[in-house]
Amino acid sequence: MFRYKLPPWLLLLLPAIIVLAAVVMLPLLLSLYSSFTPYRLTRPDSLFKWIGTYNYEKALTDSKFWAAFGRTIVLLTIALNLEMLLGLGLALLVSKVTRGQRALRTMMMFPMMFSPVLVGFQFKFIFNDNVGLVNNALQSLGITDQVIPWLVDGKLAMFSIIFAEVWTSTSVFAILILAGLYAIPKDPLEAAKVDGCTSWQTFRHITLPFIMPFIYIAMAIRSLDVARAYDIVQIMTNGGPARRTELLWTLIGRTGYVDAKMGYANAMGYTSIFLAIFFTVYFFRKLTSARNELGMGG
Amino acid sequence: MKNFASGASALVLAAMCASYAQAGEFDGVTLDAKLIGGQQYEALYGRISEWEAETGAKVNIISKKNHFEMDKEFKSDIAAGTTSWCVGSNHSSFASQYPSLYMDLSGLVPAETVAEFVPANIKAATLDGKLVMLPRGQFDVSALYYQKDLYEDADNQAKFKAEYGYDLAVPETWEQVSDQAVFFSDPPNRYGTQYAGKDEAIVGRFYEMVVAEGGKLFNDDFSPAFNSEAGVRALNWFVDLYDAGAVPPGTTSYLWDDLGNGFASGTIAMNLDWPGWAGFFNDPASSKVAGNVGIAPAPKGSAGVRTGWSGFHGFSVTSDCENKEAAASLVMFLTNEDSQKMESDAGPLPTRTAVWDYVTEQAKSDPYRSEVLAAFKETAKTAFAVPATPYWIEATNLIFPELQAAILGDKTSEEALEAAAEAVDDMMRENGEY
Repeated sequence: MFRYKLPPWLLLLLPAIIVLAAVVMLPLLLSLYSSFTPYRLTRPDSLFKWIGTYNYEKALTDSKFWAAFGRTIVLLTIALNLEMLLGLGLALLVSKVTRGQRALRTMMMFPMMFSPVLVGFQFKFIFNDNVGLVNNALQSLGITDQVIPWLVDGKLAMFSIIFAEVWTSTSVFAILILAGLYAIPKDPLEAAKVDGCTSWQTFRHITLPFIMPFIYIAMAIRSLDVARAYDIVQIMTNGGPARRTELLWTLIGRTGYVDAKMGYANAMGYTSIFLAIFFTVYFFRKLTSARNELGMGG
Repeated sequence: MKNFASGASALVLAAMCASYAQAGEFDGVTLDAKLIGGQQYEALYGRISEWEAETGAKVNIISKKNHFEMDKEFKSDIAAGTTSWCVGSNHSSFASQYPSLYMDLSGLVPAETVAEFVPANIKAATLDGKLVMLPRGQFDVSALYYQKDLYEDADNQAKFKAEYGYDLAVPETWEQVSDQAVFFSDPPNRYGTQYAGKDEAIVGRFYEMVVAEGGKLFNDDFSPAFNSEAGVRALNWFVDLYDAGAVPPGTTSYLWDDLGNGFASGTIAMNLDWPGWAGFFNDPASSKVAGNVGIAPAPKGSAGVRTGWSGFHGFSVTSDCENKEAAASLVMFLTNEDSQKMESDAGPLPTRTAVWDYVTEQAKSDPYRSEVLAAFKETAKTAFAVPATPYWIEATNLIFPELQAAILGDKTSEEALEAAAEAVDDMMRENGEY
């Protein structure tokens, strides 16, 4: 009698495939499907009405969506570069320390341990125009007698958010780059010293190429993080005032949950995922070429 | 002996019958409830055990959150079809968003009970002809709190008269509020006034100002009507005060807590705010202006109409509830005269006519409390609820960024209202309202 048997590799993979399908694929497919419907949370029957690409067309022709998209890219670019430069500096300083380095490394990670919601509240208070720490300090020190509306002025509000982002996440870069610094073989550094390289030349031509893969990994991780920026912004400004700090996910979150327009929110979500995919692909290409340069590719 | 035994058993039987009768109509029934949480709301829930003892039913509170969180939970419940719990907290500003969630109470609540509530509140609790909730003793409308000594100061009086040509007195119109706000401002130490600057809060403030200016927010079919002369006048009130530096520069990011704490810190001369703050403002432990707080009815706009955006909390019964009679009985209990007296003793305003009289009588010996009640009672007479459309919150989310844009100078008032009206019009059409 013929009994159909699954090949053993498939049998062994099956539990993983089933779990992945249930917890990843199913919700993804459902949300993808709902982006083609006028689904509203308060009207469950709207989930079964097919409206084609209407939501996507609406998102793509909506100037508010593109403004939020642009702002997210600006935030991403500025925050990532600042974090990278500061993280690099911090890592280089800490790597020179000989005593108490472990304590320093732990301290460096403190900001990462706070929940983003807490960080949001903390900086919302620090930058409050009336009772906030920054304004009170500036006024007490006699630097200004003006009330600076940190969270209201378009540029200052974006600055405050970037400041909060950089404060929490610079250590991600610092820790990864520090790991890279430890992994640099000593021979090329010593050879450079013997050949009379200045410390800048050593850094530029030996240290930096060696830690580039680490920087790109940190960039890829953080770009995904920042592209999803929500908690800190939601607490500090909620995208306001007058949409001056509206980012993709504050816009999408409000559309989906407050306005209950889940179908449209999902369509915007899927459109913006392309942003995340683009940056990931970009940084992974950079990573591969940096590894190739070091002869680690393959 | 035999006689005694039979007599005793008769007694036992009679006692048992009596205890069954007392055990009440809803013996063995368990009601799941989702109630609003928070210090000022929860004292009432202590009375639930009395109702349980009276009726034999049990109440199981399965969720307790603030109203914004509750709103999200209700929406998820509707989406997931998990709406078989029975009693839910409701609010007049949110109620129209859940057309299918709650049932019409008019079949379960006697007409004479309904008649005991303030008619305006019952009107606002009735959507599409359905009485969707019974109002609890948590009625909200805003009146004007002010620092008394600023008005008593002879120097202020003389200077104000010289500058504006009329006597400095507690304002009766919003125009006077503007003048005085500019006059009292001395940033960063003191601002004339302040306003909620984002979300539904600023749209509610704008809405009542449009009404006070003789305009309408929406037409009868819920198409936008605020892009009008009255609308521009209303918005300019906010814009001009911001430009004059008479409100804190961060006011566009303020919500109720920021406003309440701001007035309590003594840096705000006049503050349009809710009744719930009355005690807080006059308590030396929480407020620097305690003992110096005056309160007046909400001022009038140029149309001679008072602002009076109002709302109230209530309790509703879900359409999917298995024990609707028991649920309605609980709702009636939580909104009955004793319950409302208990809530209003702590400060909040009632929604029953008899309880309004009761609190006024109770406050006679306390001049501050009497002043507070008189101001709110006067304002409540002409108060109005939010437009009864399920898209109210969605409309506010489209309107508020445009109001902010005008206040911060990114757009003129006309441009901002035009953009907001267009967005609301699109949204209403897309939702098939007209």
